[in-house]
Amino acid sequence: MTSEQNGMKGWWSILKRPSAKYSLLGLLVAGFASGIIFWGGFNTGMEATNTMEFCIGCHEMKDNVYEEYKTTIHYSNRTGVRAVCSDCHVPKDWTHKMIRKVKASYEVWGKLTGKIDTKEKFEANRLAMAEREWTRMKARDSIECRNCHSFDAMSPELQKKTPYKKHMEAKAAGKTCIDCHQGIAHRLPKGFKKPGTEEED
Amino acid sequence: MKSLAAFASTAVLALSATAFSTAVYALDVEAAKGLAEQNNCMQCHSLRKDKDGPSFMKTAEKYKGKAGAVDEVIKHMTLGKDVKLADGTSEKHKIAKTMPANDKAQLKNLAEYVLSIQPK
Repeated sequence: MTSEQNGMKGWWSILKRPSAKYSLLGLLVAGFASGIIFWGGFNTGMEATNTMEFCIGCHEMKDNVYEEYKTTIHYSNRTGVRAVCSDCHVPKDWTHKMIRKVKASYEVWGKLTGKIDTKEKFEANRLAMAEREWTRMKARDSIECRNCHSFDAMSPELQKKTPYKKHMEAKAAGKTCIDCHQGIAHRLPKGFKKPGTEEED
Repeated sequence: MKSLAAFASTAVLALSATAFSTAVYALDVEAAKGLAEQNNCMQCHSLRKDKDGPSFMKTAEKYKGKAGAVDEVIKHMTLGKDVKLADGTSEKHKIAKTMPANDKAQLKNLAEYVLSIQPK
């Protein structure tokens, strides 16, 4: 047996042995308190990755999508309510948020390999990236949009007639926000044509 | 030989004239279509068919040969004035937005595109 295996076995036997020094209550209280601290720390760290400052920490986001987003209503509007990156791109519930964060690690790989490190590369990949995000949004019935917006809360008096009519048609047809509202906070990929807007040559 | 030289110089002249006119009146159709798509123009308008709003072809006919047509179309796109819909009712026209904001060149290009739509 190697000394490493010896060491492992030693640690394991310490962990298994009942404590002779500390009371059960003491151990429970210490475990509970450190659980809160670690959990709080983990969630605080996780929330830090949800801030706009974190998202635009890399120039790929700052110089492209952030610059575009700054000109839209989700950044600046009459009532001063702002939707930041994570409000639309990261699920709110814990499980889906964790899944999204794990998947986002692929984006770190993209950063390291310089996949979109120039404007040209970004534009070349924009359609693929956008479609991936639209698919994700559609799969969850545009939940990130619906955290704030809903068909039922739309007022026929306050919303303009044409959009209201189209929204009610969409509701009846079982459509979801992202079926029509692509590119509301970012530039649409070049040549992208929204479905349902037929165009004769 | 002389006629060949004359032909060559004419061709060069014609080519440079084409290049010059393209540079001056270059209409970026793809950019215009992109901006129209971004602003959901095609939800209510179509190139040659009337929908809730008139077709671009109809707008082009309306302003044909008129001075200040481009400015009028830009105003229509950006001032959010009351417009009449196909069903006779009216509502405020959507205000077209550009990235970066209020980019006159992009709006002008879109207006020129609208005014360029001819009957087939």
